[in-house]
Amino acid sequence: MAGGYRQQPGASSGETRKDGKRVAGKQKFPPPGSGGSRPTMAPRNLDSIPESVGGKEPQPAGSHIHDRYRTGTEVGKSRALVDSHAKVTGQAWYGDDVRLPNEIIGKILRSPHHYAKIKSIDTSKVEALPGVLAVATGADAPNTFGVLPVTKDEHAMAVEKVRHVGDLVACVAAVDEATAMEALNLFEIEWEVLDPVFDPRKGLEDQDEPIHWRGKYHVGTTNVQKRVFQEFGDRSLVDDPTASSHGKWRMEGVHHGFTEPHAVVAHWDPNGRLQLYTPQQVPHYAHRALSTVLEVPMHQINVIRTFVGGGFGGKSDPFPHEMCAAILSRKAGRPVRINFSREEVYWINRGRHPSYIEVKMTADEEARISGFDIDALIDGGGFASFGHVTSYYNGVLATAPYELGSFHYTGARVWTNKPASGAMRGHGAVNTRCAVEVGLDEMAEQMQVDPIDLRLANLLPPHSRTISGFRITSNGMREALERVRDGSDWDTKFRQMPLGKGIGIGCGFFISGSGLPIHWDPNRFPHATVHIQIDMDGGVTVHTGAADIGQGSTTAVAQVVSEVLALPIEMIHVRSHESDTSPVDLGSYSSRVTFMNANAAIRAALDIREKLLNAAWEMLGYHPDVLVLNDRRIYYKHDPAVGVSYLEALHKAQEDKGSLISSGAYRSPPMGGVHKGAAAGLAPAYSFSAYVAEVDVDIETGLVSCTNVWAAHDCGKALNPLAVEGQIIGSCHMGLGQVLSEKMVYGRTGHLQNPNLLEYKIPSVHEMPHVTPIIVESSDPEGPFGAKEAGEGPLLPILPAVVNAVYDAIGVRIRELPLTPDVVWKAISAKTRSLGGIDETELPSPRLEHSPLQATLVARGQEHRKRDRRRQRSEDTSAYVNGVLFGFDPDRPLEDQVDGWKSAVEPVPEQLAELGLAGKAWLKKEQRQMRGGQ
Amino acid sequence: MMLMPPFNLHHPKTVEEACELAATFLANKESFDWVAGGTDLLPNYKWHINAKTHVISLANIPGLDTISMQEIGAMARLGALTTSENVHPLIASAASKVASSLIRNNATLGGNICLDTRCFWFNQSEDWRRSIDWCHKEDCGTGSDCRVIPNQNTLCVATYQGDLAPSLMVLEGTIHIIGPNGPRSLPVDEFFQLDGITRNVLQEGEFILKVTFPENVANRKGSYKKLRVRESWDFPEAGVASSWISGDPSSLRVASTALESIPRSHQEEVDAHGTSFSKEHIPQLSEAIMKSIKPVNNTALPPRYRKSMVRVLAKRSLREILGD
Repeated sequence: MAGGYRQQPGASSGETRKDGKRVAGKQKFPPPGSGGSRPTMAPRNLDSIPESVGGKEPQPAGSHIHDRYRTGTEVGKSRALVDSHAKVTGQAWYGDDVRLPNEIIGKILRSPHHYAKIKSIDTSKVEALPGVLAVATGADAPNTFGVLPVTKDEHAMAVEKVRHVGDLVACVAAVDEATAMEALNLFEIEWEVLDPVFDPRKGLEDQDEPIHWRGKYHVGTTNVQKRVFQEFGDRSLVDDPTASSHGKWRMEGVHHGFTEPHAVVAHWDPNGRLQLYTPQQVPHYAHRALSTVLEVPMHQINVIRTFVGGGFGGKSDPFPHEMCAAILSRKAGRPVRINFSREEVYWINRGRHPSYIEVKMTADEEARISGFDIDALIDGGGFASFGHVTSYYNGVLATAPYELGSFHYTGARVWTNKPASGAMRGHGAVNTRCAVEVGLDEMAEQMQVDPIDLRLANLLPPHSRTISGFRITSNGMREALERVRDGSDWDTKFRQMPLGKGIGIGCGFFISGSGLPIHWDPNRFPHATVHIQIDMDGGVTVHTGAADIGQGSTTAVAQVVSEVLALPIEMIHVRSHESDTSPVDLGSYSSRVTFMNANAAIRAALDIREKLLNAAWEMLGYHPDVLVLNDRRIYYKHDPAVGVSYLEALHKAQEDKGSLISSGAYRSPPMGGVHKGAAAGLAPAYSFSAYVAEVDVDIETGLVSCTNVWAAHDCGKALNPLAVEGQIIGSCHMGLGQVLSEKMVYGRTGHLQNPNLLEYKIPSVHEMPHVTPIIVESSDPEGPFGAKEAGEGPLLPILPAVVNAVYDAIGVRIRELPLTPDVVWKAISAKTRSLGGIDETELPSPRLEHSPLQATLVARGQEHRKRDRRRQRSEDTSAYVNGVLFGFDPDRPLEDQVDGWKSAVEPVPEQLAELGLAGKAWLKKEQRQMRGGQ
Repeated sequence: MMLMPPFNLHHPKTVEEACELAATFLANKESFDWVAGGTDLLPNYKWHINAKTHVISLANIPGLDTISMQEIGAMARLGALTTSENVHPLIASAASKVASSLIRNNATLGGNICLDTRCFWFNQSEDWRRSIDWCHKEDCGTGSDCRVIPNQNTLCVATYQGDLAPSLMVLEGTIHIIGPNGPRSLPVDEFFQLDGITRNVLQEGEFILKVTFPENVANRKGSYKKLRVRESWDFPEAGVASSWISGDPSSLRVASTALESIPRSHQEEVDAHGTSFSKEHIPQLSEAIMKSIKPVNNTALPPRYRKSMVRVLAKRSLREILGD
């Protein structure tokens, strides 16, 4: 409890020992709010107060709008997460820790077929089994749901047909697990087995029986769930390139691999309200879906979010088993618990999409990036989930941090008879980012320039607009690149290490909160709301719906409230578990929580602060402008002896009113273009990152081990540096899994071959490199105290950094993830064969001799460095749009100054022939354009 | 959750009692399994694979966990083998590569030798195996085909992935077995028997008592190379052990594991070089060993790769003992 708030009545006199220390428990009851057991308040911590308001905290990126509310209490200090004690002592209650009186066990019957129609289900034998208390099938819940309102294609249990092995068919609740498992064997089901589709490329073709039917918007009779076309910029720039890269990638699907399997308990309370306990990242969407499926108004459902044992995007859909538990519980009249085995976790999946990605890029004679041409075919599995968004993210999140001459993207997501893919840390951006960064590495090699200098000379500056219309605010990309270059000793290692050792660079760009909420609302509901309540005891209760999934959002909220009110963090109690008491929050996805929720919390805290200062004004006679808050005390700026304790001011403020209550909300400002899909990827701020990875490749076996990573991430302002470093290191681990060993293996028959943690190879501690986290602070103008996201962005660069490092080590470009030893070995063998059957040990290591372009790039990078600094510190506030590097006037619409400037969201007929793999989805017409249809 | 099917657990206190118990079950035609550390058997039980009604634990029989240079008891924990000074360094090093430290603290030598064969069509839950209509190794009475090599119904090609067997082979160990029909012993080389279902020569009711080694085993220099994706947890995807008494080519022994349904001694390939074997012959011998094995596609890495890696592992193992 060091530094904590401890207020205990003791003996009347303040006893001291001979050495002057006060005797615990023998102290006077200290005056309220005067510093707990400390008789005086702690001195102001000037090191944690920004320069712009008279402190000593350096502000290289300039001042921030929240600076004058900084009290130096919590922000920027490394803090253990506020729920860490509960977790390390085993007292945190996860989904499986919920035990209600009289609860019974639910089990789910899963499909043994990839794709089949259910002709009939006979449950009579199940119902007759002693101990079975409820049975439910798809007929009990005909309403569809889905996380995105535009693609509601899921049922609680299969209605009409099953779409993958492991799809839910029926469920049963019984007095114990053994009975429930026995009951599963008694269902009698008549199937009509249909032809399954596993290969996403086959999904582009017309089918007799598409996996879902989208009515008039269905593309032909294919399994295409979503197709995207986007084209911006001047496509003529890509002609006659100085350098170009063309890569075709195959990326396997990966799963989040969170520790806690899904678990849910449903209970209809005596008043007939549903109480649902579930480890959800996004309780609000589950809440909505439950209401739809159960046909019960939302206010009759209380979603209780338990502690979440890791989510990473895998617990953000409303899940069918949550519906099943509620349905079974309603039928049985007793609480029903459903726990998943690991295999069931893999069957519900929602992991990263298996992808075929093709990236073409070109650079002109000045090494400017004249065009990105991206084609992404992603395998969505049986359901839509977040797929609509993923289809866009695979392209649009590649439009920064580089300035592009043109951008062309075709994407398609297809349904296949496999477990559904969905959102996973780095949603949609990870695979293309890897392909793009490796392409840049290849172009740098062709032009004989350093890939870091190539990047530094092509960055978008702070406060600019991307080619697709995203508003970039703060931008720490340049600093991140410079710091990893220095940290890793890049200049003495790159292309200079012996065979088998390599170093590589990769960058990342990610959204910090999505600009539009998933549930589009005509009423302009805020994205996040926070309520604060302070009663006479002085403790601050913060109500928020933000779901802490281990990333520390609860701590972030407690920290910002503590900072504004100058109260120790132990006095802030965050309540976020129940939808009954929490204001609506859209949940933990798209790295929005700290950004939006902390912003809402700051606004709520400012309201309270004003009330406290007004009370102090009344008591002291000094205007709030000259009052200072510090450590449970409010005093006159020029004479700290004149002041009141926090509790005195609080009690004054509560006169005739009772508790101080306030509400704060955040809604992102209107942004972005008007083209179709303009909202995808819009965010109030963006994070940037750059990693350098060092690898050792065993050239005989193809085993790759990553030894060192220098990881710089621009998180705006690290509210809690310890948590940011944790996110960076954790992201490295997760990304390394995808790049080195993790994959969901669908075998010859389309079955998932490795639905367990032994064969699904998440790296162990032995595979973990030494990670040096580097925090870059660019102070975002809109972020809470300048903060941006740090949860997802840091994952992106590790993949290309490792792939590029492997190239540096062995001189072979591999475009197949993960780089399992057999893949690397195969590539090495092919290379040695192509060189006339030489021994692996004689492979030539890639080397770099700078061309004259290198000097041009360094000079341009230096010039841009000055430009960026002026813009970052708002010394230069002129407009900057993507294209200025190519000589365009930022103040005139590009369409007016460049002949070929385009902004298209549908291909013109001439283009159809030359579209890539995913682009083939555009060869079909939608049903509505074909007259009639089904 | 993974609920195990119910079974009766028996704790005999002596070897004789254990044999009697087994004899009784055999007479009553009741099925049973032996359990030592349980790290292989119980996961399979959780998957409802070949669960029996009775399980006889050897844990309470004293004296089965001896560890010395000449003799290792069946109940010796792998964790103890890695830390004990009185054990051949090759065994200690091979044992230290098994799974993770938590598992090694429970797993035993006997259990590792008798490890069930593994296959990704087989080591799956009941629901999963139902979705492929079962497989030959655990056909649930359906007479199902092998899923790895379809259209043959006579052979199970599940892979033996024990780490210790090749090391015991190259150290010329002898396995001592006991059962209702009395004790017997045989070289480790002859202990394993095709196919993936039969696995070894143990008759019903028999179990391993100990493994012994020749007097001069301490003179042998050995090396075990294991291929795996992760440095922890993973079963070997291929493993090669070799040993010799320095300077004596006739004493050279090589064995491999995790490539076929049983671990293999490569005496034939070694003998082809006769007594003239020296460092220069390492590539040829490695090549010959590689050619002699035929892995199938039922573990994490593809068979062609695993086969090629045998050459690398053999080369590295041989170089280590011959001194490079």
